[in-house]
Order: sequence, then structure tokens, then C-alpha cells
Amino acid sequence: MTTILNKSSIKITMRKLVTALLVLLFLQLSHTASAQERTISGTVVSPDATPVAGASVIIKGATIGTHADVNGNFTIKASPSDVLIVSSVGYTAKEVKVGNSSALSITLEPAKSELQEVVVTALGIKKERKALGYAVSDLSAGELMKNKNTNVVNSLAGKVPGVNITQFSGAAGAGASITIRGGNSTSDGRQNQPLFVIDGIIYDNSTSVTGNTGTDGLSRSNTTYSNRIMDINPEDIATLSVLKGAAAAALYGSRAADGVVIITTKQGKEGKATVNVNSKISTSWANKLPEAQTVFGPGSYATNGVLNTLIYDSWGPKIPADSTLYDNIGRFFQNGIIYDNNVSLSGGTKTGSFYLSGSNFNQTGIIPGTDYNKTTFRFNGEQKYGRLTLNANVAYSVANTDRTLTTSGLYGGGGNGAMGAVYSWPQTFNMKHYINPDGTQYRKFAGTVALEDDINNPYWIINEDDLTSKTNRFTGGVNGNFAVTDWWDITGKIGYDQYTTNDYTYIAPGSAVSPMYQSGRLSKDLLAYTYITTTVMTNFHKTFGDFDTHLMLGSTTENTTTEGQNHWGYNFVTAGTVSFNNIAPENKFFTDGTTRKRLVGAYGEFGISYKDLIYLTATGRNDWSSTLPTSNRSYFYPSLSGSFVFTQLLHNNNFLSFGKIRGSWAQVGKDANPYATLTYVNSPITIASYTGIGNQYISGNPFLKPEIQKSWEIGGEFKFLDGRLGLDYTYYHSQTQNQIAQPRLSNASGYILVSINSGSVINKGMEIALTGRPIAKRDFSWDATLNFSYNVGRLGQFIPGVAYFYPTDAQFGTVKAASIPNGGYFLGMTGVKYLREVDKNGNEIPNGRYQVDAKTGLYKLNTNNPIVGNREPDFIAGFSNTLRYKNLSLSFLLDIRKGGDVYNGTEYSLVINGLSKRTLENNRQSVTVTGVDSQTGEDFTQTYEADKSYVINGTTYSGKNMIQRYWSNYASNSLNFITSVNWLKLRSVSLTYDFSNLLKNQKIIKGLSATVTGTNLATWTNYKGMDPEVSAAGGTGGSGSTGIDYLGVPATASGAFGINLTF
Amino acid sequence: MKNIKYIVAGCILITIVSCKKWLDVNTDPDNPNSTSVLVQNRLPWIQHFYTYTAGVTNFRTSCQAGVLYSITGSANALSTTWTASSGNVTPYQTFFVEVSANINDMYKSAEAKGAYYYMAAADVFSALGFMQMLDLYGEMPYSQTTAISGISLPSPKYDDGKTIYYGCMAKLDEAISLFNKTQDPGAPSFASGDMWNNGDVSKWIKFCYGLKARYMLKLSKKADLFNADSVLYCISQGPQSNADNVFQRGYNNSTVTDYLLGDPVVTNGNWDYAGYGSNQRISQYYYNLLTNMRDSKVTDPRMSKIVPASMTDIKLDASGKVVSYSWNRSVGVDSYGASERLVAGGPASIKAVSYTASDKNITYTITDGTAKAKFIADQQLAGRAFTVDGDNVTVTYKAGSIYVNDNNYLYAGDTSYVNMRTFSIATGGEDPLDVDWYPSADAMKAGAVGSTGSYQIRPVSDQEILTYHEMCFIKAEVYMRKGDLANAYTAYRQGIQAHLDMMQAKLTEWQAEGYTKTNPDMAPMNQSDINAYLSSDAVCQDAGSLTMSDIMLQKYVAMGVSLENYNDMRRFDFSAGDIGSFGTVYPGYDRGPLFAGEALYTGGTPKDPRYWQRRWQLPTTLELNYNSANALAVNAHATEPNVWSMPVWWDCATDDQYYGYLK
Repeated sequence: MTTILNKSSIKITMRKLVTALLVLLFLQLSHTASAQERTISGTVVSPDATPVAGASVIIKGATIGTHADVNGNFTIKASPSDVLIVSSVGYTAKEVKVGNSSALSITLEPAKSELQEVVVTALGIKKERKALGYAVSDLSAGELMKNKNTNVVNSLAGKVPGVNITQFSGAAGAGASITIRGGNSTSDGRQNQPLFVIDGIIYDNSTSVTGNTGTDGLSRSNTTYSNRIMDINPEDIATLSVLKGAAAAALYGSRAADGVVIITTKQGKEGKATVNVNSKISTSWANKLPEAQTVFGPGSYATNGVLNTLIYDSWGPKIPADSTLYDNIGRFFQNGIIYDNNVSLSGGTKTGSFYLSGSNFNQTGIIPGTDYNKTTFRFNGEQKYGRLTLNANVAYSVANTDRTLTTSGLYGGGGNGAMGAVYSWPQTFNMKHYINPDGTQYRKFAGTVALEDDINNPYWIINEDDLTSKTNRFTGGVNGNFAVTDWWDITGKIGYDQYTTNDYTYIAPGSAVSPMYQSGRLSKDLLAYTYITTTVMTNFHKTFGDFDTHLMLGSTTENTTTEGQNHWGYNFVTAGTVSFNNIAPENKFFTDGTTRKRLVGAYGEFGISYKDLIYLTATGRNDWSSTLPTSNRSYFYPSLSGSFVFTQLLHNNNFLSFGKIRGSWAQVGKDANPYATLTYVNSPITIASYTGIGNQYISGNPFLKPEIQKSWEIGGEFKFLDGRLGLDYTYYHSQTQNQIAQPRLSNASGYILVSINSGSVINKGMEIALTGRPIAKRDFSWDATLNFSYNVGRLGQFIPGVAYFYPTDAQFGTVKAASIPNGGYFLGMTGVKYLREVDKNGNEIPNGRYQVDAKTGLYKLNTNNPIVGNREPDFIAGFSNTLRYKNLSLSFLLDIRKGGDVYNGTEYSLVINGLSKRTLENNRQSVTVTGVDSQTGEDFTQTYEADKSYVINGTTYSGKNMIQRYWSNYASNSLNFITSVNWLKLRSVSLTYDFSNLLKNQKIIKGLSATVTGTNLATWTNYKGMDPEVSAAGGTGGSGSTGIDYLGVPATASGAFGINLTF
Repeated sequence: MKNIKYIVAGCILITIVSCKKWLDVNTDPDNPNSTSVLVQNRLPWIQHFYTYTAGVTNFRTSCQAGVLYSITGSANALSTTWTASSGNVTPYQTFFVEVSANINDMYKSAEAKGAYYYMAAADVFSALGFMQMLDLYGEMPYSQTTAISGISLPSPKYDDGKTIYYGCMAKLDEAISLFNKTQDPGAPSFASGDMWNNGDVSKWIKFCYGLKARYMLKLSKKADLFNADSVLYCISQGPQSNADNVFQRGYNNSTVTDYLLGDPVVTNGNWDYAGYGSNQRISQYYYNLLTNMRDSKVTDPRMSKIVPASMTDIKLDASGKVVSYSWNRSVGVDSYGASERLVAGGPASIKAVSYTASDKNITYTITDGTAKAKFIADQQLAGRAFTVDGDNVTVTYKAGSIYVNDNNYLYAGDTSYVNMRTFSIATGGEDPLDVDWYPSADAMKAGAVGSTGSYQIRPVSDQEILTYHEMCFIKAEVYMRKGDLANAYTAYRQGIQAHLDMMQAKLTEWQAEGYTKTNPDMAPMNQSDINAYLSSDAVCQDAGSLTMSDIMLQKYVAMGVSLENYNDMRRFDFSAGDIGSFGTVYPGYDRGPLFAGEALYTGGTPKDPRYWQRRWQLPTTLELNYNSANALAVNAHATEPNVWSMPVWWDCATDDQYYGYLK
């Protein structure tokens, strides 16, 4: 199979659907009662031979079943080929083949889920859950697939306590960010996202803006970027574990300070080969759009009241009743369609197994002309040769995105993005009219507004410009394990992760951009990422009486290389040929970039336990990182964790069946970004015969030390009522010290950004997971999980005089995402606000009246970057439910959030443009300013009426102009657009019917189910804008851009129908 | 067994050694770093970016000094309303980041090679840059900056103005002694890196003395420190003729832009700020000095070289090309006088012009009868067709018109304020020898010139760093202060002559290069006009009647877009007339009717030092947000708005006065 093009893929999907339906029909018709049925009797007992009363016994694939009596005895009619499923609450279900015997004795193992449950921990080591001294959350494939999203990060939303997911936008191919227990690094270039490890190999999840923002014109906010975990096919995932604290992750070393997500992909099982096919078609739509007023038309009033109609702003006169109005916003978006097809083949023998899969995900976006198309292949194989086990897995993916400029135009190149213009287009202009018959852009004010000062029509941008991103990725790993004896084994591993991203940005001639680029502009970027890792590890495991011990020693090397190439140029000489060959040499530019990072780690773990009662584990790791100065490149960090299963000391009781308390302490180091130890110079400049070279504005630091995070957590796990109810509780605290930061500091140092070690980030919070099985009947069951968490992130001490840190790409409207030193918010926001009246000492009175500046007649603004919000939620929670009635199951997930400020920059923009419904106040006939005079402190109240004029500080202003000024003043106050947001989201709902019982008497099809899914179908929130789950500039480091809503592509809701077929 | 031990030990050793090497990849292979750059590449960088930072300083202080009027919010705040300017960032950032960060690296690598002239040049740039910072901001980090200490500190402490002043003077003294050495054999030749003086060390020494004279003059308010004879001595060692002028040449031969703010790297620094956009106009204050100096009604021969013009009365041929036109010489924007136009429309309301390739009707609604009559009369005078319908007057702008595209009648006459913009090939120009500004692509095709620009602020202008004419005017002022009128008069006349000669030489050069094909304002002046001017009442004709104001106003005209005018005005307390017995040195300069800076300029009367624009507040986004503790430690009022009216150290008569402000 090669990359499937859109059209053929649709055909294939349709053909598959039709085939599947025909098979279904055929099976329905041919379903008849089977022969050879006879009555079989049996007894169900537990390992200590006590009967299991009431155990349910059903025939696999049928609705026929019975119950065991109080003595564990049952009878049932079945044929020899049938398989009985025997289950009971508190026991692990068992499948028993009927065969020829007529009396069966079935022993059920107690489902001591907590006692036996095994989870994947750091370095892929499987451990019993009860032995862990820290919190680990794991999700099964089934849980992830309930609301399958091609970006596996999105499937985690609401499911894991302590994990915060924010999708960048509703655009096709848009990524998402994930943070666990808050962020640890404040600086722009430092990521706070967890490490992803797939089958033991670190898998890059960066969100790269390729090329050079300076020359390439792209920044994080002006188009769509994917996070690279999207390259994995979610259907390939068998299990996913989230290691949240430093103790859990300590063995991963430098990159684990932000937590780890461990993904294990599917393996074949012993037995006949199985083919699984699933196909899904879904449609998505913008779940909420901004609302524009339709009362006032285009124009703007000058100081003296003269109307200027040569403007896109909607401050003009009332729209006459007979005018044609265009719903420019509503008409712009379309329904997106997704075709999602997956095929896998798996099987195995006693000594080997394989898993092979292919998938295609083909999405058209809600913005016409945008799409995301991903094709993946994976092969996983395992073979045993005596004591040696070899594993190999390879995956290949191709992901292509057709995207568009969204929020803004090209940095340094002017112009605008499509969304900014969509949300500002006057309602009386038909936005769809974007092109003249001669192919040039239709411009309403052509001839009166210079092209570079005009606004690009959004349809011009989506139809004429061309922005694409293509990523090919290859990952693979070979893993050998040799069991020297039954208590000693050695593992060796080589891993490889390589991808190339090709980005293409073409701005069509005739666009409203800087004059230099009006004859077209082209840039191409190549980003090649390569990661190679080797690991050698040995494990010893010995039991001495009641003591069980293990020792692990290992070492690893990692080599990461990123190579970038940027080519760009402007001014196509001959119209129609979009190529660098068609650009004069002096207008073409190229740059290269290489980053290299290497790391050597040596680590060990020692664990000891006593009688399944007490578990203690100590780990240590030393890293040598290439990114630190030679003298500081080696650093060691330890961890200690323990758990105490106190229920082992209690009598067996039905109320508290399992109880454990746990605690851990850990320290992890984090190295620097490459090349932070030296100061580099800029590209040379040529002036006449001289060549000048000077330092860049980022200063290196030859004295950098590793950043150290110290953390501790305590918690407990409890199971009640034979496991029907479970509680998992964690409290954690972490502090990052010697933070490696590249803050903006006094320019007097000679630099804008300086790498330093300073300050700390403190995170503390709580996580609670409550699991229950309120109903567990044979035909009807209800499983529910409620998880709840909160995090409080604060910045500690920092260099005196530094007021805040902010990520460059996260400044929109009047606000900046910012972290505030000395106890301030990590996810803070600074902005502009009205000044309030002051007390005798000149301090503002909280909730006092506003100051009015008599010189402007409007509210006086505090523009010194006051703190205006905290984007961190008070808590987040998820409530997931699965109800099963016979073969029908219904799942739904509710996502809850309380608090956390969101800035509605889109509304800000609508107010500025006069399109906001807020500006209809008093029918635009008057506005009133009331407060105190900022000079005299006396009461000040003034109403500005549209038809009057006002003399303010010597200038005469028309009332209409004053009303416009009032709204501009209103827009400047960030607080007018900030809401502490609560939401309840129906994140997903899905209904599945399992047709297995219809397939009983044939051997070809082993399983068939159909699912209807809805995603984001309903949101109840106090937020007035679009979807409050927002991040205006995806992938920004430091405190990021979550909570800032600015002219984004609206979030989507979707409905899907899918079929899953196994044969 | 022993062997095995050795083998194991050897393996471990090899592993450790190779591991160490394997980790040595933390040097970027694609970019040189600060330790490897050659001094002969550092110096052109420093020279270029110093002129760039001086360009923005010259531009913004010219708005404060009344040379220019600007419609951008930040510069308008300096030229008209005197409200806080957010534009106080750029000189600070461009000096510290683009220049200062390189000074110590150049000094160190020059020292290692015995390249004394480069070390000396590093000292000169330290003095030039920090003195400029002192002039603007009063106090800032100095001794703890990388440029001075060689150590990079994230939050350097501040020094007061006096420390910085003496530091700069000491740097010049060290530079002079280094220039008097001979470079070690093997040191890179000074000519290979020196764009300004082509490695002429004697010119550099004169430059250093000239700077010392300029800096010593700053102390004129200080009875105890000002030494007229020391200034005269430095002048005697400084530039002796126009041949000794130090300037950065501007070019129009590259579209490459800089890494930080994206301006072309070859163009004149003044142009980058004052002539790059359409926002600047000549002020009426400057315009009057060029047309009516000493109430003479005599037009200065330099006027048409400094005040821009646009085409008007344009007629197009069938192909849309300009066939006939006349020149519309700009008038000045009145921001200090009656300011009628600005009062009517607002402080920044002067409109930019458009060009129309076809006939264009604009309907104006004028309810005021008097205004309507005047407007109609104006149209008749301009020969435009119009119709009147009640309050509506519809005017037809003929194809080829340069007009104001706005239906507010108040702005229709703004074509008389020609902006000072010119094109470079990096910013819209197509022909390297045509720097005229055209309002649109259509206008460029037609050849309809929107502005001819101004002598000092075209992309190809020489950016004056230190000139012989400045020396003459300093000399004249110092002799005047000594009461030696005869010598003062000689120096005054020499200064005017030197400036005229310098301009004439450049204009002649431009003509030879071909710029005058499209721009008559770049052609030489008429010698007869020069002669007439020099003998007119515009220039003082006898030593006995020479006033300080005569000297300073001629210096003002000659210095033009230069920080030194703002410095001089502060030394004479602008138009307060309270310095010695010199009377009012800058008559007519005052707060205008649109003044709105009460919070910044808290002095109530002109005699109160705090009535005037005395310095700039430190940039909020660069210093006050990130280094406020240090800023407040040296000046407790650094964050208060009225720091804008706080005199810097050299602007105070005594240290007590200065430290009294900082307390």
C-alpha cells in the first residue's frame, strides 16, 4: 500500500462499508439453531475449593446463559464447540471449552486486581502495582479507543488525574499540548511536556516551527502545527501508562522532570492469525462561532464627526433595512469529513508472534481547502530462541497537512491571516467575492487603500496561498533479552527515531503584504530529526526467606541531531511559475541549522520487599550531558520510594478488601538546550567593501549548572466491597531549583535573552481517582470512574527586579502569557486595566471607582503590565461511564473544569472592529463614563451622546467619535475580556453493538461490532466566546498560551459511525 | 588474572576518554561564536550599528528639539503633546544589544593581537555610546556592563551620570594614547576594518579631541567644572577642516536587512527612522529658521535641500506618464505656535497623501458657512472642478493628482505638508539612483513624486558623527562665553561656511552620481544664492552685534537632525532666557496649545527646570520590568512619570542639585 490519495481512499472506504454490510446481512439470514446440543453440568469453585455461588455462565457469542447455585453448581445446554465464559464478581473470568465432557469442574482465580495487577513503569519494567511508592495511571486500548482521536494526547483528556490537555485549535492537523502536574520551566525555549516512550524508545513529541521565524515569517500562532506524537496510529496502542512524579520517572533521567507517558504497542498472540479491520466515517463542525452584530455597517467617525467609509471597521451608520446581509462567519466554515481505516494482522506460535498494521486517516478541515492525511504502517515481532528473546518493531508514517494562515500574517511580511479577517469582515460586504475576472484580488477599497495597507480576503488566502507541511517518520527498535538463569537476565536495546518535515509556504502575488512580497514569496523548510539510543541493562531477582529483592543496573546513550534548512525568496520574475528558479539571485536566501545533543546515563535500582507487606525501592542515575559545560556535565540524582500494604495485617473483610499507603522522594536533573554555553554571532553583513559581524542577542553562559527538581508525594490505594469501589489518592509537591532559564533581562547586559541558572518553580496538588462498579449483573453492568485533580503552580525567588517571564509567541490583544516571580502564578497573565481610585498613600483601592483621565474624558489605563489573571484551573475532573446491556454498550465521558482565567481576545478584536454585540449598548446613542477624576480625585460622570459634541482638553470631539473612543478604551481593559471559566463538557459519547452472537456458527468472522460516537456534542459553560479550551499559539514553551483565545480556528464537535471486524 | 584486570581497566579508560570526546558536540557547527570573530569584522559591525542607534536618537530628539514634527504616537508625544513616549526603547536596545555587546569582545581580541587601533576604537565607541545613553536616560548600568567590565551580569547595577561622564572621558584619553602607539607586527591593518576613516589614525585622534570638546561643552552650566580654555585646546587638536569630518556613508545598493529590527544594513541611520516612513514633516520652527533667520525674510540656500517638495499640478500623457508638473515645496507644521490645523484635527492628525491615476471625486460635508466659503475659495485657487449641493461640496481630483483621500474637509489641504520619506531599493524603490518617494505603485509608474526628501535623512546621505562645522560653532560659543566677540564672530562665520561647503560637496557628488535626474533637491545650490545669503541680514555681519542666539540658531540649522541640538537647548534652558546674559537663545520654542504633558513636566513656568523635556524615562519593557531594583537604587524616582523633566547630571549647575533630584 502506498499513500492513498483522497478520492481513491473514499472509494475504498465505501467499498469496505458495503462489503461489511453485505456480510452482516448474510449472517443474519443464515443464523439458525445449531445441532449437537446437549446438557452439561458443572461446578464453580475458588482455589480453596469453596463454591462460587451465583457465578454467571454464558456461552461465548450468545445471549444464552445461566447462574451457579449456592453450591456452585450449574447446568447449561451447549455443543462441544462452544466456549463457556464463567465469571463472578471478585474473580477473574475464565473461558472453558465444552469439548466432550459432560461434567465440568471450573476453578476461578480471585481477581485480586490490586494484588496481581501489573503496570509498566520506567524503562519498561513491569511491576506489581502494590509495590509502587508513587502514582502511575494506566489506560487500556479499549479505554483509549472509546473516543478515538488521531492524536492520542487528545484521547487522554478527562481520563487521567493530574494530566491537563489543551487542543491548539479545531483546524485539521492541529496539535495539542499535555502537561502533567503543572509546568517546571518558565522560559520560551523550554518545554513542559512529558517524555513519550514507545516500546522503550523515546519518541519525539515536539511541535516545531520550522525554519527561522525572522526570515520565514511563520510563528506559532499564524498557522496550524501538529505535535509529533500524532504520527503514531492510536489503534496500535496496547497500553498507555502515565508516570506522573519525579520518583516514577527518575530512571529516565534528564528528560523526565515533566513526567513520562509510556506506550506499549500491540503484539500478536499465540494461535491462529487474526485480521482486524475497522473503518470509521465521521463528520465534524465548528461547535461555536463568534457572534457579530448586524445593526451597524462599515465606517468610522473622525474626531470632528465626519464619516469615513473607506474602512473595514463597523462603526458606521445603521444598516438600512433593505440591505443584503452576509453571514460571512457562518458561511466560511464547512463540515469536515474524516475517513479512518485500519487493518491489522496478528498471530503467533509458542515461540514467536507478530503484529502488522496499516492505517489511513483522511480528514478535511472545517476551513475549505485544509486537510490532514496520515498513513501509518507498523510491524512488531517477537521470537524466542531458548533463553534468548528477540523483539523488533518498526513503524513508518506519512502525515500531510494542507493548512492556511490563521491568526496573523507573516512576521515581517505583513498581511493578515484568514481567521482575523473572517472575524472582522463587515456584514454588508460579500466576503465570497474575492477575485476579479483578471485573477487579481478583488478589493473593496482598491485605488484608495494601498495594497500593503489593505486586508487580504480570507478566500484569497485559502484559495491562492499555499501552505503545506509533510512529515515522513520512521521509528524502529531491536530488543534482545537473555535469561542467564531464572534470577538473572540481560537486556540490550537499540532504538531509532527519525523524521523529516518539509514545510512549504507560498504567498501569492497580489496579496496585501509588504511591497517587497507583492510579487509573491516562497519558502521551503526542511527539518530532519534523528535520534539513536542504545541501552544495556541487567536484572537480578532473588528471594531470601520472606524477603524478595531485585537489583537492576544499566547504562544508556542517546544521540539527537536536528538539521534544518531554510530557503526563501520573493518576487517571481515570470508570473505563474512558483519556483526558486524563477527568482533573481539577490532575492533568494538560505540558511542551515544543526543541533546536536548527546547524553550518557548510568543507572541502577535496588528493591526489597517483605511478605507482600512492605516494599522499598531506591534508584540512582548519573547523566553526562553534552549540553552543559564540561565541568558541570556530570550530575547524579537519587530516588527512594516505598509502599505498605496494611490490609495484609488485617483479617479478610468485605468492606476494605485492599489498602496500601505509599510515599516517595526523588530528585531529577534537567540539562540545558544545545549550544547554551557559548554566545554566537549573526550572519555577516556587507557594507561597501567591509564585512561586519556581531554577537546575537542571546548570551551563552559557560557556567551553567543542571536544573534540579526535588519532589515528594504521598498517597494511598483502597479497594472496598470486594473491589466494587476503589480509591486512589495522591498529594504531591515539587520544586525545581537552579532553573535553567533564558529570561528577558536588562538589555544593559548587552543581550535580550541570557541563559542563567536562577529561581525555582513550585508545584503542589492533589489527585483522586474513584472507580466503581455500581451494577454488575449478567446482562447489565455499569462501570464508572471519577477522577479529580488540581495543581497550584508558583514561581519562587528570582533575580531581584525581574517582574515577569513571558513566552514571545503568547501575546495577544492586550495580554501576555506570563510567569510571575517571587510567589506569583506560573500560568499568569499580564495585561492592561483601568486604574482605580487611590487612597492617601497613593495606592489603588481594590474595587474602588475607576479613575477618569480628564484629558481624554475616558478611563485611565494602567499599562505597566499589571497581572490580570491566572490561567490555572481550580480543579479539573473527568467522569467516565460505561453501561452495558447484553451486547449493547454505552460509554460517555464528562469533562469538568472549575476556574482558570481565559482571555477572550476574539471578542476584544470584535469590539475593536465594531462587530461585537457588546458595542450595541444603548443602540450606540450614548455611553457613560463614571468614576473619579484622576487628577483631582473628585467624582466624574459624563455621558457622551451621539449627536452632541464635547470639548475635552481643548479639542472638540463629536459624540459619535467619543462613543468609538469609549469602546476603544473599553477594549484596552483586559479585564473586560477575562472570565474565570467553568465547564462541563460531554467530551464523548459512544454506543456500540457487538454482533458476535450472530456469528456463532461460522468460522470466518470472529467478531463484529458497530459504533456510533459523538465528540464534544455539548458544553455547558459560563464562557461567552467560542470553545474555552484554547491555546492561541500551540507548542509555545514556558507557561504556554493556554487560556488565550485569539482569532483561532473554532473547536469542533463530531459524529462518527464505525465498524470493527475481526476474522 | 592480572592481565584481565589491565584489559578491563584499559577498556574502561578508553570508554571514558572516548565518551568525553563523544560528548563534545556543544559547539554549533553552522555559526561562528563570539570567541572566533575577527576584529576587522567586528569594527564595521560596531560602526554600522552605532550609526543606527544614533539615527533613532537623532530622530526622536529632533522631534523634541522642534526640528521635526511626527504623526506616529510615540514621536508625536515628543514633538507636539509632550506626553510619555513608548518610543524610549529603541536607542537603548540598539545601543546595548547591537553595539555594546561587541565592544569588549573586540577589545579583548584586539589586545591579544597587539591591534592597538582596534582597542582604541573600542574605547571610542564605548564613549560615544554611553554618552548618548547618558544624554537620554541620565543613569543606567555602566561599570557593571559587559562592555566596561568584561563580565556579563544578568542584572547589572546602575551608575549615576557623573560616573558615566567621567568614564567616557577616560575612555577617550585611553583611546588617544592607544592611537599614538604602533600596532604590533602581525596585527590586522586598521584600514581593513575601519569604514569611517579608512584607517587614518591621525583623523581618529582629531575625532577623539573633537568628542572631548563636545563633551566638555556639556558642562557649561557648571561654574566649577566648565573650562573654556580646555575646550579650546581640544578644538585646536580636533578636526581642522571638512576633510577631517567623520561620517558613515549611506548606500542604496543592497536589500539585506538587519537581524534585530529589520532595517536595511547599508542605508543612513537617520533615514532608517526619520525618512523611512511617511510620518515625518518639517516643523514650522525649523522652517522659519530656514526662511526668516534673524527676521530677515531671507530664504536660506539650504532650504530647498532640507525642506522636501512633492509634485503638483500634474498632467499625464495618454500612457499615464507625467508630462508636466510643478513643485510643491512643503511648509512647516505649526506645533508650537497657534497650531490652528492641529487644534482643529488633533495633535497627530496630519494626513498622508494618495495618488489617483484616474479622476476622483470626493464629497465633503461642511456645515460651517465660513469654513465652506474658505474651502470653496481654496478649490478655485487650485483650479479644481467642484460642485456644491447644500452642505456638500464635491471636488474632482484630476487623474495624476496627489491628494488627501479623506472626506473630511479639514484634511484636504494637508498636501502642503510634504512628508520627508524617501525610498531605498530595500523599501519600495526600484532604481538605486532614484530615492524619491512615490505614494503608490501607480504613482511610481507615472513618475509622480510624492517627496524629494531631506538632505540629512535620505538613504544615501552621509550620517554626520563629528564635523568641522560643529567645532566652529563650539568655538564660537566658547569665545562668546569668554566675551571674545571677535573670535566668536570669526568662528561663527567659519561654521556657516563649513556647513555650506560640506553640503555643496555632497550635492555635487550626488549630481555626478546621477541622483538629480529624478530629484532636483539633490543638485548643488546656486553659488549666487549662497553669496547673497552670506551677505544678507540672515547672517550677522559684524562681530559687535553677534548674539549667542545667532550662533546657536545657525548651529541648530547646520546640525539639523542631531542629538546635539537637544543637548544644546537643555544647556540654554530652551527659551527660558535664564543662562548668563545671553537672553533667549531659542526664541519661539515652547509648549504648544496641544501640550498634554502636565504629569511629566511638573514645572509651572519656563524658569523652572522641570517645565521642560529634560531626559527620557528608562524603557519599561527593557529595564523597569527586569531591573527595577537597581534602577530605583540609584534614582528613587526612576519609575515616576515626571522623571521626564528631571535634568541629567551635566544639565545641573551643581552635584547637590543633581543628587537632590535623585533622592
